[in-house]
Amino acid sequence: MRFRQRIRTANWTAYAMVLPAVLIIAVIAVWPLIRTFWISMYDLRLNDPARNELNVSYGINAEKYANSMPLLLSLLNKEAEAASGKSHTELRELADRLARADAGLREDAALQTRLDRINALLDDFKPVPADMQNIHIDKTGAERMRSELSGIGQSLQTLKEQGALSRADEAIGLAKAVQQSFTVPNFVGFGHYARLLSEPRLWEALDHTALFTAIAVALEMLAGLLIALLMNRAFRGRGLVRAAVLIPWATPTAVSAMIWHFLYDGQNGIVAKLFAEIGLIPDMGALLSTRAWALFAVVLADVWKTAPFVALLLLAGLQTISASLYEAAQMDGASRWKQFVHVTVPMLKPTFFVALLFRTLDAFRVFDLIYVLTGGGPANSTESISIYAYKTMFAELDFGAGSALSVIVFACVLLISIVYVKLLGGEVLSRRIG
Amino acid sequence: MNKRAGPAFYAVVAVFVLIVLFPFFWVFLASVKAPAYLYGDYAFDVIVPKYTIDQYVSVFTNHPFGRYLLNSFAVGLLTMGVSLVVASFASYAIARLHFWGKSFFLGVLLAVSMFPQIATLSPLFLFMQSAGLRNTYAGLVIPYTTYALPLAIWYLTTFFRKIPYELEEAAKMDGASVLVVFGKVLLPLVAPGLFTTAIIVFVDAWHEFLIALTINTKEAMMTVPVGIAMFQGEFTFPWGEISAATVTVTFPIIVLVLLFQSRIISGLTSGAVKE
Amino acid sequence: MSKKWWSAGSAVTLAGGLLAGCGGTGDDVNPAADTASNGQASASEQTQAGGGQPASKVKIVFGQGADQTDGTKKLVEAFEAKHPEIDVDVREFPNDSTQMHDQLVTILGGKSPELDVVNLDVVWPAEFAQAGFLLPLDRYIQNDGLDLSQYLEGGVNAGNYNGQQWALPRYNNSGLLYYRTDLVKEVPKTWDELLKQAEELKGKGGTQYGYVSQGKQYEGLTVGFTELVGAYGGTILDENGRSAVNSPEALKGLKKLIEIYTSPAVPSNINTFTEKETLNAFIEGRAVFARHWPALYAQANDPSKSKVVGKVGIAPLPAGDARSAAALGGWLGAISKYSEHPKEAWEFLKFLVSEEGEKIIAVNSTQTPTYLKLFDDAEVQQASPLFASRDFVNGLKSAVPRAITPDYAKISGLIQVEVSKAIAGQQTPEQALANLEKQIDQNAAK
Repeated sequence: MRFRQRIRTANWTAYAMVLPAVLIIAVIAVWPLIRTFWISMYDLRLNDPARNELNVSYGINAEKYANSMPLLLSLLNKEAEAASGKSHTELRELADRLARADAGLREDAALQTRLDRINALLDDFKPVPADMQNIHIDKTGAERMRSELSGIGQSLQTLKEQGALSRADEAIGLAKAVQQSFTVPNFVGFGHYARLLSEPRLWEALDHTALFTAIAVALEMLAGLLIALLMNRAFRGRGLVRAAVLIPWATPTAVSAMIWHFLYDGQNGIVAKLFAEIGLIPDMGALLSTRAWALFAVVLADVWKTAPFVALLLLAGLQTISASLYEAAQMDGASRWKQFVHVTVPMLKPTFFVALLFRTLDAFRVFDLIYVLTGGGPANSTESISIYAYKTMFAELDFGAGSALSVIVFACVLLISIVYVKLLGGEVLSRRIG
Repeated sequence: MNKRAGPAFYAVVAVFVLIVLFPFFWVFLASVKAPAYLYGDYAFDVIVPKYTIDQYVSVFTNHPFGRYLLNSFAVGLLTMGVSLVVASFASYAIARLHFWGKSFFLGVLLAVSMFPQIATLSPLFLFMQSAGLRNTYAGLVIPYTTYALPLAIWYLTTFFRKIPYELEEAAKMDGASVLVVFGKVLLPLVAPGLFTTAIIVFVDAWHEFLIALTINTKEAMMTVPVGIAMFQGEFTFPWGEISAATVTVTFPIIVLVLLFQSRIISGLTSGAVKE
Repeated sequence: MSKKWWSAGSAVTLAGGLLAGCGGTGDDVNPAADTASNGQASASEQTQAGGGQPASKVKIVFGQGADQTDGTKKLVEAFEAKHPEIDVDVREFPNDSTQMHDQLVTILGGKSPELDVVNLDVVWPAEFAQAGFLLPLDRYIQNDGLDLSQYLEGGVNAGNYNGQQWALPRYNNSGLLYYRTDLVKEVPKTWDELLKQAEELKGKGGTQYGYVSQGKQYEGLTVGFTELVGAYGGTILDENGRSAVNSPEALKGLKKLIEIYTSPAVPSNINTFTEKETLNAFIEGRAVFARHWPALYAQANDPSKSKVVGKVGIAPLPAGDARSAAALGGWLGAISKYSEHPKEAWEFLKFLVSEEGEKIIAVNSTQTPTYLKLFDDAEVQQASPLFASRDFVNGLKSAVPRAITPDYAKISGLIQVEVSKAIAGQQTPEQALANLEKQIDQNAAK
């Protein structure tokens, strides 16, 4: 009896203890990932008022409407008064049509009061709160308004060509602005994926990322292994060497990228100078300005930063190999090389693969280094897939396509993990948890 | 493999250390050269006619570098605090208690640690924007904590598992509840583990770039990596000032590494090596 | 002993973390957590406003590219002297205008109120207006009776989109050819002459390069491309925003651009050159010719920075077989829609484009004013020989605007990629233009 109760309390305590972690992970990591996928099915653009929300239905941006419709109305009335003859009647008619459409919309009392309040705010230099801006309207109403306005826009274009308008561009622009204040549903399904996959830029970015990952990780593992083997013995100053090795790891990538930027500088960079003098590169300027050498420059900076770190991991692995194994091998008369192949390699393998997996995943999502060092240039030749996604989202504010790219990054990372686990066995991963 | 180290060995080690540290040496040099000697004929010389500390002064007076440092420290410490609390509870439960769904949770943790951050960035950005958390510390601490948790939980679980059951059993015999056992007996014992985890979480938060770049755009709220990346003059890269800034932000890290290197190494390697 | 220390240390950290995590305030156990929780958002105001009158003062933030002259400082001082109730903070952005664009867009796309008045490159207002990032200015212009006909027309038009005024021109630019008066006998009139002289004069008088310009994959490359295409009679977009770039004229322009950038007269790493590198090369006396904006003049004649003081000549850009085409550059002031102090922001913007404000910038930073009367002002004329030259002012009036389209950033990005690939020899100029046309039209159709 007591015992059972004990277990049950422990159980509830256990849940209570993991709950905060579960909540945080669910809300800030898992949910956003699902949401990213969701957003990637919409044409979401923060720089286009008609498409800056996930709309499954029609709506109107009241602020934009309040800022453009009255201007257009008064402009048309003015133009109509100024014009004569046929264009006068045409303009009069257009102005009436517009006024009717406006009045039709304002029949909705809620909309009318909302517009009044927004106008008052605007006259008073006050910002319009976000929740007041968007109002849902039904599909037929929205479609009617949009077609009405595009009709008015076309008539204005014709009138402009006839030379009947004194402020033609203004009127046409305003008509466009009013039209744009209506929002349309922007669900596109897998549209972004279809378009992105058919464009070369994505494949090029994947190419660069894969190439970078393969070369950088291979060099890092190799260099790391050599350093680890070198350091796996007692020698004076070993602590100092270990500390020195940690410093590149402890420097933020963005900062180390800035350091390398300085060393690579085409006019005053010491590394550029050195490479040019030993004839490795054709001239000092080549490092950051030519396709192949820019990639080389990025890889070198990455190897410098992470090879020492890999070495530390492998060194720790080496040190767990018991000395008695080597002694036994020596007794059997095995050469140093044989000892390495038959003792070191199999014993170090698990550690090596864990490091390999995590380095691969890290390298594949490379962002900071490239962002600071080359910005993806020259001619997009070092643009990684993360950089491409970032630029799409935050420079072009195209969150839909950017999210689709992020999902593609995620899919690649998932694929890499699956391949590794299939090849190396699930043990690689579970060991990580100790 | 315990062969005695000869002079050739020391030479190789020396070259290796030189290569690793050279960039720092060069940047330090650039930070104290008078600006005129950074370019042109003297660009590649170690000895130049004039050295100066003006560039360090400028980093703090003409640029808000003090502010960036403060922000990075604040965000790092807060992330560290929150993650440690949450992670130590969770890892105790994982190491010691039985509950349904444990292995599923561990699987999720593992997966989260492999998430490319860019894959959660757009909803995170939109969320922080609508919650009014852009340009606040919370805007960074929340995602940083989330990404620190898997790591912190793993490390701490390892530490909890190393503690012999007998200690706990003894306390339970005396009738102490799970919470008391956790707080009074186990937590003090894993303090070294907590400390190691804290350093690693702090360093990770100190490094983070992508989220800081997008969430905290206001100059007064930027962290060090973003501040450095945004460092620009009108028509020149002010290499002297950039170098001074780099040295300034690298310095605390070097101190940290020198002080705690064995703890950091044990923390970094605990996941990869079975002990 | 040591164990105790550990646990005490971590307990404090934990407590501090918890409190701060819950948004707790006023706990003095942990100084780090304390500063941190107070440090949110309002900290900058607290620290920066310290010492002044606390309550009534409004602080606005003005975002623009870093200014290495005294112009901005003096401008702000003059404004604050007039409006003691308003404090203006200048937030500096990178001068690489592509980077500045991306940062601004991230800030404004996130509806952040951190900026009040922003400096916009001549090609951004359409995009920013369409995105809803800016406050339309018509109401205020009308209420305060600002007369826009007093300003350079190209600049005013650049701030107009969909019939509304979103930004006001602060200074306008057009590309210029700088040359060393001690080396160049006869100023080249065409791009061919320029190239010939650059190749001949390279190495003379301590120079390393014949000609330097902006060849990096960024906005500067779009400018260079626009100028060459214009010089040979082509354009990039037609009146309806469709591509017009795949034309024989544009091809001639692109081929000339490639010829120049692959010539031995330019640095081999010309494709890393922005305005910065160009300026450095020229003021350090390493280049015979340079293409730059009017602002170079002040710096090239500043003895503390420049080795070529008194040897700087300026001329219109060379012509192709159609004309000399300099791209219209320049910057406009606008108000962020998300500003919390639009009224004060408008006061500041009005001052920026006032006769007084533009004069300060013209005199101290040699930026070309847009307020036309200033070209008759003696002090302004003294600041740069350009401002006194009728030819320059007229040239400015006829400079080629870059396409006014809300998709400008996207189209410019496409141009940068295709043109730099063509320069690098990864595709023929014909392919570059065909690709460009296809992508521009695809983008427009979306």
